Amino acid sequence: MRNLLNFIIRYGAWFIFLIYVILSCVILFSYNVYHSSIYFSSANSISSTLYGATSEVSGYFALRRINKDLEANNALLENEVLNLRHQLAEYKTLHSDTAEFGGVPRYDYVAATVINNNVRHPKNYFSIDKGSADGIAQGQGVVDHNGVVGIVNVTGPHTARIISLLNEAQRFSVKIKNTDFIGSLVWKGGDPNVAYMEEVPRHARYQSGDTVVTSGYSLAFPSNIPIGIIMNRIKGADDNFFILKVRLMPDFKSLSTVRVIKDNFKESVDSLSLHDI
Amino acid sequence: MTKTIIKYFIIFWICVLLQVLIFNHIVLFHVAVPLIFIYFIIRLPINLKLPYLFTLAFLLGLIVDILSDTPGVNALACILIAALRTPIYYAYMAKDDNTARLTPSISGMGLLEYSKYLLTFVVIYCLLAFSIEYFSFADVKDITILVGASSLFTFIVLLAFDCLIPD
Repeated sequence: MRNLLNFIIRYGAWFIFLIYVILSCVILFSYNVYHSSIYFSSANSISSTLYGATSEVSGYFALRRINKDLEANNALLENEVLNLRHQLAEYKTLHSDTAEFGGVPRYDYVAATVINNNVRHPKNYFSIDKGSADGIAQGQGVVDHNGVVGIVNVTGPHTARIISLLNEAQRFSVKIKNTDFIGSLVWKGGDPNVAYMEEVPRHARYQSGDTVVTSGYSLAFPSNIPIGIIMNRIKGADDNFFILKVRLMPDFKSLSTVRVIKDNFKESVDSLSLHDI
Repeated sequence: MTKTIIKYFIIFWICVLLQVLIFNHIVLFHVAVPLIFIYFIIRLPINLKLPYLFTLAFLLGLIVDILSDTPGVNALACILIAALRTPIYYAYMAKDDNTARLTPSISGMGLLEYSKYLLTFVVIYCLLAFSIEYFSFADVKDITILVGASSLFTFIVLLAFDCLIPD
């Protein structure tokens, strides 16, 4: 016993070393995309206070360009509203006895500000300043004015951490716009502007410059939200499918204001899948 | 004694904040990432007791991890580099009472020896950190480029630090 104690006292420092190594390995490997604890992420209250304070300052840096983007987007939307209003008026005169237009809208949007953002890791995350108190929950989609940027990962009361589209472990169900050719979009590290659309069927027809949009097959995103533009085709490992290189539309280096998509039908759709055999 | 502790406490937080608020967002050519927070471990006195060294290194890595969403990566790399610190130091310095009382610095070691110590330290750290983060042999080419570019960048920034900060 005394020998054992002597041994421990003599090599005490290396015991501490070993404990720390094991501890960091536990944190490293028990860490999972969906089940990580809020305390070990930038969505905990101390980090979010820190990042909130700094984003107050750094938020001004890219304002001019973001403003330009927003103006362009606004013009587009205004156009669309005018068109739709026109169409609606037409339909109303055509079918004057239609019982109702609309009803409960399926999607709600919550605007939020990005307070901390990273693009240099193989698995990137960013944090926003809205949390479960604002109705944000795991699995909801996040878009900015250019397109899809991520999916909610963990939420605190007033902050949430988002899995960025720039995360090798996250795939998005996408399709080529105006077609039914489905694929799965994944980022593979390196350039934050380029991702890959995989599992595109061989017979798919496309042209470089075509837009890639969300397929609507996942509950996180409605269909037809833009993600990127097809650059060129790459030979895949499998002969039955090919891979398209996609230039992403959002500028991940300067994310500022994003919107979280709340799906009001999610519960009813989820309850359906409970009845699966 | 108290003065030294306060000094290192301040250096600790300056390193953490500089890393997570500024240097985490500087990525040159998609590859060169400055990992400057290890400056704290580099500049700890050589005769500091190992348990303290390990604890400080672990805390440093853990805090940077939490703030930059890389759980475990820097904590593990920091604790490993802390264990390698004394051997790296004595690889370039003679082992005697004089050198054991030193704090690694340009004025104490001389520019050449200090640069060698710093470069070795930074290269090993970058190698550890990026290998742990990618954790796959498929990315060996990527990791090599990242390690090379990042350690060079970090080395230059840290040398500049040393010229700016008085001992």
